[in-house]
Amino acid sequence: MSTDKPAWKARLLSHEMLLLYVLIAEWLFFYFTGTTTNRRGVIVGFGTIDRQFDILRHSCEIGLLALALTPVILTAGIDLSVGSLLGLCAILFGKFWHDAGLSIPVAAVLAIGCGAIGGAINAALITTLRLPPLIVTLGTYSLFRGLAEAITHGAVTYTDFPESFLFLGQERWLGLPTQAWLFLLVAVAVWLLVHRTTFGRSFRTIGFSPGGARYAGLPVNRRLALVYVLAGIISALAAIIYTARLGQAKADAGTGYELFAITAVVLGGTSIFGGSGSVHGTLLGVAAIAVLKNGLACLPVVMRMNAAEEMSGLLTGALLLLALTGSVLPKILSTLRPRRQPA
Amino acid sequence: MKSLLLRLTLFLCAGLAATTAADSELVVAFLPKSKGNAYFISCKAGADKAAKELGVELLFDGPTDSNAAKQNEIVENWITLGVDVIAVAAENKEGISTALRKAQKAGIKVVTYDADSMPDARSFFVNQATPQGIGYGLMDEAARLLNSEGEFAIITASLTAANQREWQKHIEARLAEKYPKMKLVAVRPCDDLKDKAQSEATALMSANPNLKLILAICSPGVPGAAEAVKQAGKTGKVKVIGLGLPNENKRYVHEGVTDSVILWNTGDLGYLTIYAGVALAKGELKPDAKTFKAGKLGSFEIIGDNIMLGKPFIFNKGNIDQFDF
Amino acid sequence: MKKYFRELSVVAALGAVLLGLAMFAPAFFQPQPLLSLVTREAPTLVVACGMALVIIARQIDISVGSQFSVCSVCAGLLAARGWPLVLVLPASALLGASLGAINGLLVAGLRLPSIVVTLATMVTLRQGLNLFRQGEFVNMPDKFQWLGLSQSGGQWTLVGAAFALLIVLGLAMRHVAAGRFVYAVGTDAEAARLAGIRPGRVTFLVFIFIGALTGLAAIMNIVQSPQVQPLSGAGLELKVIAAVVVGGVAISGGRGNLWGAFAGLLLLACVSPALTHLHIEAYWEKAIQGAIILLAVVADGVRSRKESRG
Repeated sequence: MSTDKPAWKARLLSHEMLLLYVLIAEWLFFYFTGTTTNRRGVIVGFGTIDRQFDILRHSCEIGLLALALTPVILTAGIDLSVGSLLGLCAILFGKFWHDAGLSIPVAAVLAIGCGAIGGAINAALITTLRLPPLIVTLGTYSLFRGLAEAITHGAVTYTDFPESFLFLGQERWLGLPTQAWLFLLVAVAVWLLVHRTTFGRSFRTIGFSPGGARYAGLPVNRRLALVYVLAGIISALAAIIYTARLGQAKADAGTGYELFAITAVVLGGTSIFGGSGSVHGTLLGVAAIAVLKNGLACLPVVMRMNAAEEMSGLLTGALLLLALTGSVLPKILSTLRPRRQPA
Repeated sequence: MKSLLLRLTLFLCAGLAATTAADSELVVAFLPKSKGNAYFISCKAGADKAAKELGVELLFDGPTDSNAAKQNEIVENWITLGVDVIAVAAENKEGISTALRKAQKAGIKVVTYDADSMPDARSFFVNQATPQGIGYGLMDEAARLLNSEGEFAIITASLTAANQREWQKHIEARLAEKYPKMKLVAVRPCDDLKDKAQSEATALMSANPNLKLILAICSPGVPGAAEAVKQAGKTGKVKVIGLGLPNENKRYVHEGVTDSVILWNTGDLGYLTIYAGVALAKGELKPDAKTFKAGKLGSFEIIGDNIMLGKPFIFNKGNIDQFDF
Repeated sequence: MKKYFRELSVVAALGAVLLGLAMFAPAFFQPQPLLSLVTREAPTLVVACGMALVIIARQIDISVGSQFSVCSVCAGLLAARGWPLVLVLPASALLGASLGAINGLLVAGLRLPSIVVTLATMVTLRQGLNLFRQGEFVNMPDKFQWLGLSQSGGQWTLVGAAFALLIVLGLAMRHVAAGRFVYAVGTDAEAARLAGIRPGRVTFLVFIFIGALTGLAAIMNIVQSPQVQPLSGAGLELKVIAAVVVGGVAISGGRGNLWGAFAGLLLLACVSPALTHLHIEAYWEKAIQGAIILLAVVADGVRSRKESRG
């Protein structure tokens, strides 16, 4: 009995649970402050179901990228190129459909294939040459975006997609925004992969100690390669959802998304040094940022300051710092304590 | 203790909510392409003035960078906030239209300004000048300065910005149609950074010794190019013109580096947009109107569903000091 | 010779680019435009020196672009209030140093990963500045331009100052104990600690140092034109990191030097004007820059593989 108690206590104080409390507090706060009745007597703002669905729709792409990045970061890697790859895949998807005259499903499959190739380029450089992922993906970050611009000369925007395709990004299906189903599907798949297969558990082993994993007989290079290819595939999926939501494919799609995605993952408790973290943590991180961003935009005070965008950026940064500091605080305290005792 | 805290928070929250519900004036939301851009800040100054005169509440929000996806998110936010009027400068024509149609369905009046959406997604477009008018105007001004002969280069914001592409297209069309002796030697992006425009202009001048004119079609590009020309000691030999705000360019126009800056009165654009939006919400502006009277600015012509602000204005040494925006 | 193979290969690549330019676009080498080009890159060089130190110490700082913007705007505002240059310059460096100290405190004091810490401070500073200034230009008094000197005088002073800094730092990294401490910490922090170096303190100081250099660079940039744009440092971090890495500084710490970083910066800085001079369309620019970075890291990878085998 006495050994049980600390366990559930620890669980209640785990990073994910703390984040969940923050999320709930955030949500309740915005629910009570961001919901108003307008002059026509209609309830408007954060508390409406429409708003909640909007939040879900707006966070699908960044959420997908965050899901793509979670296994990568678990292996102590990083992928800065996901946002650029999203842009490149969106362009290629548009090109396959519009210029090559392929049907939407074929174009989508091809675009996802291209995403896999993009991920494979990262994987090849990182595993065969044992290069640091940070710098490889910094290179491909420029390269992929550059290719997207070169292919379209920066100018071409693919639009006029058929209604049936836009349904994916703009309508609801079975009560939820259509793309949310896809997002949930990927989330469940990644969760199962990371948490319920030995295969996925090896990501953490590799992140914790690549040398050790090698000695333990894990095919480290193959596993690493898979993680980056998977990131490429999910980025391409995000590209298709993005295109469907906006009804356009353009070379600047997804600019800066990588930073939001990394922020969500780290906020979700995945260690940037690899080895520990969880997919549900990432999902909570995505939700916390999305609620913060959208909630702030509903606050009358913030609206009058015309500063929703800046405030949410500012607070996301602060939240990230707080989460980081919080995660090491116990460790710091425990190193301080022994020093005090002798005195 | 905990429950006390909770009650306190709830009390505070309820108080906050109550204060906002008390306002019962019209709420007009004003969306720029990008928030930090001096051009839109000067539009907002006019919009603020109109909002004050009309006694409406003005919301101003936009992406911090020009970003079509974020524009949609902001509009969708306003829909759920239940504003009365949304005024939009569209970063991307098709992209924003899906969100605007949704707004119309929710009973919100939509006007566009600066850059139009699809016509069915809004009631009126406050037209400051068509892309064609701007492109042709810039090209004609360039040709006038060069006597229709010689090399010139363009500095644009980014290779992907929709309005920049549009203007560039019309500049090139006018060039092909009317000025066979002029040659466009290069188009360089400056990422909306003045410093980068300066570097690009320096490289353009040394790479093209016969360059006679730099045409900057984004507002940070004009002072950037002018500074480069000044530093290269080519004042007068390489002319600078472009789309920009008088205040940012006064110095260079007086020094004779920049010959002319083309723009409409941005404050008036914001003012007119707010007046049109409010009139629409109050039912004073009907779809088939032929003229529209906007407060102190007087009457404006309506062609189809475009409210015309008037021709773009050419600022030069003679008149630039009369303007402050 | 073999020791500096990596740096020499960057120099060779740079030489090849310059040779190509000499053959196909000799106009590139006119003295005045070239001086302008170098002057425009002088502030970047100063930041790159700091970044090289940070990366050698096995850290990274992606907040320099935001720091640069904040310092530029604050210095511009002080100048507009009538502060003289002799006060604005140290004020900006001090502001940069204190922003760097925040990073340093979090990284060295709390042992947090630098990439995430500086990601957070990057976002926070950038958005804070947006909130505060809403993108408005700052107009500077005339006497600030070119430090109050003539144009060519100012250009030579800025270039001279940047080079002086590069040379002093480059030599110090090799011949002064403090410089070697940075290498030691970057190579193996635990070994460095056992050797009597305090890795935390070195890391902390390195972050303060890059902050101060960024503040200095901001001044070197704003004196080049009469207006300050708050966006001015956007993208600087990637440019500088790319230059340092292309120049052979290993992201895993402990290896590389400032001379290589300098060559890397020149190589990347040449791409854009070279395209203009060779009349190649601008939309290839980003792809080419990405390819150069990848080539450089592949070269690193191939070399380290050979080493580990041989």
